[in-house]
Amino acid sequence: MRVPTQLLFGASLSAFFLAMALLSLIWTPYPVEILNIPSKLKSPDWQYLLGTDHFGRDILSMLMIGARTSISVALVAVGIGVLAGVPLGLAAASNRGSAFDDLIMRGNDLVFAFPSLVIAILITAVFGPSAFNAILAIGIFNIPVFARVSRGAALSLWTLEFILAARVAGKGKVRISVEHILPNITNLLLVQGTIQFSLGILAEAGLSYIGLGAQPPTPSWGRMLADAQTLIYTDPRLAFIPGLAIVAMVLGLNMLGDGLRDYLDPRLRKMRP
Amino acid sequence: MTLLAVSDLNVSISGEKILNEIEFNISQGEVFGFVGESGSGKSMTALSLMSLLPKSSMRTGRAVLEGRNLFNLSEREMCAIRGRDIGMIFQEPMTALNPVMTIGNQVAETLVIHGKYTRSEAMTIARDKLARVEMPTDRFSPDLYPHEISGGQRQRVCIALAIALRPKILIADEPTTALDVSTQAQILELLKRLVKEEQMSLLFITHDLAVIAQMADQVAVMQNGRIVERSPTRELFQDMKHAYTKKLFAASNYSSGVNDKPKGAKFLEVRDVVRTYKLPNRGILDTIKSNVAIRGVSFTIKKGESLGLVGESGCGKSTLSRTILGLDPLQKGRITVDGVEVNSGRKMPHSLRRKMQIVFQDPFGSFNPRHKVGRLVAEPFHLLEKPLTTVQQKERVVSALCEVGLKESDVDKYIHEFSGGQRQRIAIARAMVIKPDLVILDEAVSALDVSIRAQILDLLNHLQFQHNLSYLFISHDMTVVRAVTDRVLVMKDGKIIEEGMTDKIFDCPQQEYTRKLLEAAPKIPQVWAPAKFCRV
Amino acid sequence: MLRYLISRIISLGLSLAVASLVIFFVIEIIPGDPASFMLGITASPETVIALKAELGLDQTPVVRYLNWVSGLLVGDFGISYTYKVPISDLVLDRIQVSLPLAVYALILSTAIAFPVGLIAASKRGEPTDFGIMGFTQLGIAVPNFWFAMLLVLLFAINLRWFSAGGFSGWNAGFWFGIKSLTLPAIALALTQASILARVMRSSLIETLSQDYIRTARAKGLSQRRVLIRHALRNAMIPVLTILGLQFSFLLAGGIIIENVFFLPGLGRLIFQAIMQRDLIVVESVVMLMVFAVILVNFLVDITYALVDPRLRREG
Repeated sequence: MRVPTQLLFGASLSAFFLAMALLSLIWTPYPVEILNIPSKLKSPDWQYLLGTDHFGRDILSMLMIGARTSISVALVAVGIGVLAGVPLGLAAASNRGSAFDDLIMRGNDLVFAFPSLVIAILITAVFGPSAFNAILAIGIFNIPVFARVSRGAALSLWTLEFILAARVAGKGKVRISVEHILPNITNLLLVQGTIQFSLGILAEAGLSYIGLGAQPPTPSWGRMLADAQTLIYTDPRLAFIPGLAIVAMVLGLNMLGDGLRDYLDPRLRKMRP
Repeated sequence: MTLLAVSDLNVSISGEKILNEIEFNISQGEVFGFVGESGSGKSMTALSLMSLLPKSSMRTGRAVLEGRNLFNLSEREMCAIRGRDIGMIFQEPMTALNPVMTIGNQVAETLVIHGKYTRSEAMTIARDKLARVEMPTDRFSPDLYPHEISGGQRQRVCIALAIALRPKILIADEPTTALDVSTQAQILELLKRLVKEEQMSLLFITHDLAVIAQMADQVAVMQNGRIVERSPTRELFQDMKHAYTKKLFAASNYSSGVNDKPKGAKFLEVRDVVRTYKLPNRGILDTIKSNVAIRGVSFTIKKGESLGLVGESGCGKSTLSRTILGLDPLQKGRITVDGVEVNSGRKMPHSLRRKMQIVFQDPFGSFNPRHKVGRLVAEPFHLLEKPLTTVQQKERVVSALCEVGLKESDVDKYIHEFSGGQRQRIAIARAMVIKPDLVILDEAVSALDVSIRAQILDLLNHLQFQHNLSYLFISHDMTVVRAVTDRVLVMKDGKIIEEGMTDKIFDCPQQEYTRKLLEAAPKIPQVWAPAKFCRV
Repeated sequence: MLRYLISRIISLGLSLAVASLVIFFVIEIIPGDPASFMLGITASPETVIALKAELGLDQTPVVRYLNWVSGLLVGDFGISYTYKVPISDLVLDRIQVSLPLAVYALILSTAIAFPVGLIAASKRGEPTDFGIMGFTQLGIAVPNFWFAMLLVLLFAINLRWFSAGGFSGWNAGFWFGIKSLTLPAIALALTQASILARVMRSSLIETLSQDYIRTARAKGLSQRRVLIRHALRNAMIPVLTILGLQFSFLLAGGIIIENVFFLPGLGRLIFQAIMQRDLIVVESVVMLMVFAVILVNFLVDITYALVDPRLRREG
């Protein structure tokens, strides 16, 4: 019984971080905006469960708000990808082989030629670094992913006879896409969404690590790691905690995605390694 | 002399019993046939002989080939047997060959891996073997890839690689089911000839009684993992000791009661229809190519008439049906329904669409798996001008379901809860629910087992009688078309080459092509059949 | 094959043209006036006008675009505003770090992923397979820059086998250069190797369920020979696709990893250019990266045709 275990484990890990992020909205052990130099670089104890950083800020509190930053950036980016990508993909599939389909696919290829980091660089070069621009960069990169996945799945559905039956019943392309195609690709989108979510977490961490994401004083996992790097000789603990948090969150999401895929439809297994 | 003796063969997969006490002997040079409906265990019998069963299966029993029990051999010893002592060919030639390896290499591989020949010797022999299956190297280079040859030719290559080492037994699992009727005839002829010339035994598996009648010396009839009857072919067809054999035979010789109802006025008229479509272009350099699928087709269907449309795959049958339904635009010609012109493509008014419905071949792909049966059957209500109330809808759905032999409670089930035959009933209910005048049956019974097929044909016959329906019955199966249609069209390369009353066409075809098609269709010799089944 | 090649080359050219338009549009049109953007709010109008003339920004966008593109075609990328040297010299200097790093990482990840994926597929469902799958799952979840920090901590700070960063150029000797790039390449390769191994495994398993595998088994090929002789080549198509995509991730990942190890590569260059608002450098380096990605995907397309004969005759 490996599949439910994976699903359960992934779901609880993801839920744990989500709960942490939500909790940070109303409560954190210590405020993180206030620097408290006298208690800097404290090792974990009962007062500071995970210790403090070089400004004396509570690591646990920073981790909680960092989770919130990561999750909100990744979630909104997935939202952009789904809302823009899925309709494009469905529309392209329902007009297979048309100029519109071609345009969508070429556009997709073009965006794929810009790795999300390069998009982020372009955006920050012009607008300056911010969490919003990180969302935009990751979100733009998500659009072709969802467009491609939904187009591919929709294309194979369009060849099935129940779609022909719906056309014989006089239904138009839009209606068929909404009524027949969309419900049949939701599982797939759910799985892809989880994957993109976890990739988003990683991308956000990378962007804020090099300073193109969330700006100080907003804590984010990537920034915490960047700060930790300068202190890596004196206090490597600072580098372990946020790193482990990223690994655990991404691992949880990936296991959730794989678990969902196996659970919802074993035939989807081949869609992603 | 007995070559292979199988006794007490039992197989279960994941605890479920698949084969039960299978016992049979194959003599040298003999063709041994297995016949039965899907899921009866024919293929599993063959795979257990080859030790190629799925991993989760359990096998017991004995299969003695020349004194060695195959079931006691190790995987390594079995590898030496496969291909050398037992060759095998499968149903689907389109996917049975490695797409990235030339056909010559695939034949030569059999020779090389058993360590008998060097690479260059093997290539020479492979050429010879390809010639043996009528793929001479001057016409078919061994350097061709599988995608460059047709399905029938690919099946020949499969045969060549299976017989390359002159195995003692060749196992053929539904080798012609995926092929057109004339290709089937050629492949069957080839197999017969090879068996004789190479002194091989052939284990031939099929669902088709007529094919088995032509091929086999001995026949075993299988049902639910058991052999229910086994005897020399001729005796089997004459005696039919087992009830299941009789049932199978009756079903495959389906004949409907004669529908003498007078035919009504002209309902559908198709005039000089031409349909071309663009081929997908794969690169920027490609010029737009187009393919003519239908080249000037004309015919009519009267109210209450069953019109058959026969032809081999790719002749344009299905394209024609889609064009009539207004799903695809037509490039030339006109189609009128009840005197009103069907305008090509999208803009077809609902009032016209309402008069025509369709039932497809695939009982699995025909329904949205996420909707309940009630919603599936109700889909054509979209075509009504005045929307029905929920109560009215439910009433009509239930009555349509009852009419096709399903229950009211089935409304709340999902499609995966039904068998293939039941699904086809639901497809018919969906077509009937808005009371159309014409129903297009596009290979509607082709995917069904013979006994289920007979029931569905009965149902269609009954519905036609009740509602004075017109049918356009599209099929590649001559026997079925003969049994259920009044008039028939023969289609080839997008044209109708012959047209006439069904009996007349079948009894004295005018065109060479029609004659060939009819001759190619396998038949059970008339003299074998017990008198009560004989039809003239 | 020739037709296929030509049509691929044409589409390569088109992609590049469109990509260059997009980059030009974003960098030179969107900020309004690049010159005042680069100089900041405090600049006097005279200096802005002077810079405009210097950069040729007083011309129309169409002329500017054509100048830029025709420059790119002959290797003239313009003059860096901050460094006051030709950008092509800068790029040439930096590419000696970035390109070997990406190639090194690609070789590492392929060399690890192929055998690992093959073993997992052939031991499907056995403990070895579960172990490999678990390990790759972890490999995907580890951010490469964090992994890089851990590598530095272990191998540079504690064990002192490698230096913690920096690159003293190839003049110090080939092996010395390779040694400096080893930790960065491992950091980059971990994630990619994990992904590639998983793709390899699932593609092989998918291929092993095909009809022609059964035909080959019926010929008498053993499980292992079928895997090597029939499944491997057919399973390569999805693997190639991922390999192509990986290159773009390696380039992008390189930008971050170069920051961890203080490597003077393209990533550091572009990063510094952003901080110094040197739009001309950003523009050209981004274009160069996009060119590399498109070129690699073009090569992947060509390789498809070599692997799969079905693609050769069509198209």
